[in-house]
Amino acid sequence: MTFATACKSLLVGLVSFSALSACNPSGSSSGEGVVNVYTARHYASDDALYEAFTEHTGIEVNVIEAPGDLLIERVRADGDRSQADVVITVDAGRLWRADEAGLFQPAPELEGVLANVPANLRQPDGDWFGFSKRVRVIAYAKDRVDPSEISSFEDLTDPQWRGRICVRSSNNVYNQSLLAAMVAQDGAEAAEAWARGIVENMARPPQGGDTDQIRAVAARECDVAIINHYYLARFMRSENPGDHEIGEEIGVIFADLGDGGAHVNVSGAGLAANAPNRENAIEFLEFLLSDDSQRIFAELTNEYPVIPSAAYDNDVLDAFGDFSSDDVNVDELGANAGEAQRIFDRVGWP
Amino acid sequence: MIAGRAQFNPVRPALVAALICAAPLLAVAALGVFGPWTDYMAHIARTRLPAYLGHTAMVTGVAAVSAGLIGVPLAWLVARYRFFARSVFEWLLALPLAAPAYASAYGWYDLTQPGGPADLLPTVRGPIGAGLIFGFALYPYVYLLAREAFAGQSADAYEAARTLGARPRSAFLRAAIPMARPAIAAGLALVVMESLADYGAVVHLGAPTLSVGLIRAWAGEGAIADAARLALILVMIAFVLFALERSQRQRARQTSASGRRRPPRRVDLDPVRGAVAALFCLSPVLIGLVIPLGRLTYLAFHAPMARDLFQAASHSLTLAILSGLAAAAIGLFCAYALRSKKPVAVAAARLAGLGYAVPGSVAALGVLVLLGGLQSGLDDAWTRLTGVQFPLLLSGGVLALIFAYQSRFAAAAIGPSESALQRVTPTLDMAARTLGAGPGETAWRVHRPMVMSGSLLAALLVFVEVLKELPATMILRPFNYDTLAVIANNYASDERLGEAALPALLITLVALPPMIWIARRITRQEDAK
Repeated sequence: MTFATACKSLLVGLVSFSALSACNPSGSSSGEGVVNVYTARHYASDDALYEAFTEHTGIEVNVIEAPGDLLIERVRADGDRSQADVVITVDAGRLWRADEAGLFQPAPELEGVLANVPANLRQPDGDWFGFSKRVRVIAYAKDRVDPSEISSFEDLTDPQWRGRICVRSSNNVYNQSLLAAMVAQDGAEAAEAWARGIVENMARPPQGGDTDQIRAVAARECDVAIINHYYLARFMRSENPGDHEIGEEIGVIFADLGDGGAHVNVSGAGLAANAPNRENAIEFLEFLLSDDSQRIFAELTNEYPVIPSAAYDNDVLDAFGDFSSDDVNVDELGANAGEAQRIFDRVGWP
Repeated sequence: MIAGRAQFNPVRPALVAALICAAPLLAVAALGVFGPWTDYMAHIARTRLPAYLGHTAMVTGVAAVSAGLIGVPLAWLVARYRFFARSVFEWLLALPLAAPAYASAYGWYDLTQPGGPADLLPTVRGPIGAGLIFGFALYPYVYLLAREAFAGQSADAYEAARTLGARPRSAFLRAAIPMARPAIAAGLALVVMESLADYGAVVHLGAPTLSVGLIRAWAGEGAIADAARLALILVMIAFVLFALERSQRQRARQTSASGRRRPPRRVDLDPVRGAVAALFCLSPVLIGLVIPLGRLTYLAFHAPMARDLFQAASHSLTLAILSGLAAAAIGLFCAYALRSKKPVAVAAARLAGLGYAVPGSVAALGVLVLLGGLQSGLDDAWTRLTGVQFPLLLSGGVLALIFAYQSRFAAAAIGPSESALQRVTPTLDMAARTLGAGPGETAWRVHRPMVMSGSLLAALLVFVEVLKELPATMILRPFNYDTLAVIANNYASDERLGEAALPALLITLVALPPMIWIARRITRQEDAK
């Protein structure tokens, strides 16, 4: 067989494949009462959220859950035929990248509600915004660490912490955003010096997730750990007696980032550039910032609401107390993520 | 009927099948070749590359050695001896394959980490820990392929060796293993490629490999073209491994002179040895499946379950069955492409198989890029012809997913088919042709009965792989279409191991009936020969 006939056969195969594929019932991905949500979140609270939205508006929510990077490539590859109305990710860096690729459109209708979101938690042009906050904090063993010794992340580079710090790998996006915020605030050099100091003080090579760092502190493998606040909240609210006890033994410090407050990352959302159901999407985005939704985030996933006035009932978050946040704009986390990752590579933080 | 089939030439469909499977990998290659260059490659060459390479070599090496040392003796035992519960072990030994490697990694790490219930054991971590996790999770590839080879192998060589005074062990090493080498090598190749492609387990256990460097290019810097280039490096590693393996195999080529095979008879083991054999068979199942999933299940007692697992299970089954059937056909076609020795056909089939060494998310990216390009091309043409846009390719159906699976798991489909087709010696073909059969009739009446067990195995491997597959499933599925693997991963990646246990267990339960059925089919077929 010649190469030409091979190509011809391939073409026939592809066309028949696509024809077959096109014959599939297309479901209801557009129409009156639908909104298509592409999301990197996958919590039980999200199901509650979608149900509440449908109940409230009569609009059905279609969901595709996948990692943020793949979601972005899917929307990009689908181009003007994309079915996505709303894109949601669990960190600001991905939203920044989607925005750079032109995958969002401005939503002037949202200006009113967005005014309630602190300015540093939304993209300056309003292309996307954070709707729930996750804080990178320092967990410590109450019996071995005096919390007054640590007020900022910089304190952890002090030689007194040598061999006492647990932290997960730098593949983790929350670590990347933490360092990106440092780059934005204090410059790359200071950020690199900090990362190098942490590597010197690590109790063990990075392994496991944030939950495992908490367990390591409880097991006296290390004395402090860098984690997201809601992982500790889960221990404290756990019905498993062993886990609950761990939650009791470990305290939390909302450490400052340089001269600013604690490092805040967001789950965020934006209106897709080619949204086929634009009006429904706007309603959905508004709903994310409603009091109902904000309470769902705080009560079911222990995230902090972005709307300061939103009320919720969560003892653990109350026990964590008030804290001040850094004022680095979430947009800068994405812009500096690449630099942050290279710093991790240079200082040998695997 | 025969006249119609006589016109059929397997090479052409073989080439089409191979090219379709290779297309997403070609899309990735195109991204790498035509995409913009950044200095990411230079950056990691200066910083992390030695560590990535070291970990990659260590992880894949430990995985291959342990999978071989577990899989080959097990296959020999089960194929050639009779002992307590042998027929149960026959399929039970394949079951760890149904547990996603990351689930096993999470379970073992949680057990052995400081403060865990088994912290007297060394913590399962680092490149050796990751390699062992892969070895115990993936040895069924070696076991299944080698068992099929041992059982199908004529007893002549082994018995000749025994007659010439070789003890059983040395006859096994010097006569049986060399004859099963294509199958063992195909199994090991799958183990190595899947370990190369893994991301979740190596990150969790702190043994970042080249895959991690690749994902960082994409996730951390948005440098997709550089990620594609690193993927091509993984493909090249796989290619070199294959080339080495094949050059070895060619030297060891043997065919049975008579073309008639005398199937071996199973030897009875005395009760003591039988008990030892049974224990030996039990331990990898415990280590690869029961203990890690048991740990997750224990954690599940304190965890609520939200999603509809029944529906997810039916979705998983639908996808896995359809893909398994398609893969059996495609694997066979690709095996014919390889057998045809036509350079284009061979290249296409080899390329189709190499995609397995690429992390799943990159393979999924290839499918996205390919379908996106196809859609916009079709839209243009269709608009010109009819004035409306072409219907959406990715619009609620599962066909795109089936396609993605075929390209992703082509290696798992080709390996067993190829090694089965190798048992069909050229002399058999010549005999059939001399007796007046066309190529199609030869394939149907001579090859089919001989490769049937290989095809079943291909279907089974792809079935199980599809049950576990993640990135493509996540991004290409229709709206609101959960599978068990997606739910398990959603919870595990959110560090809710307890909630991940039930869907992960269900995956193994769903995989069980076809494993038993196919094990029985293969056994029956052997007994009938």
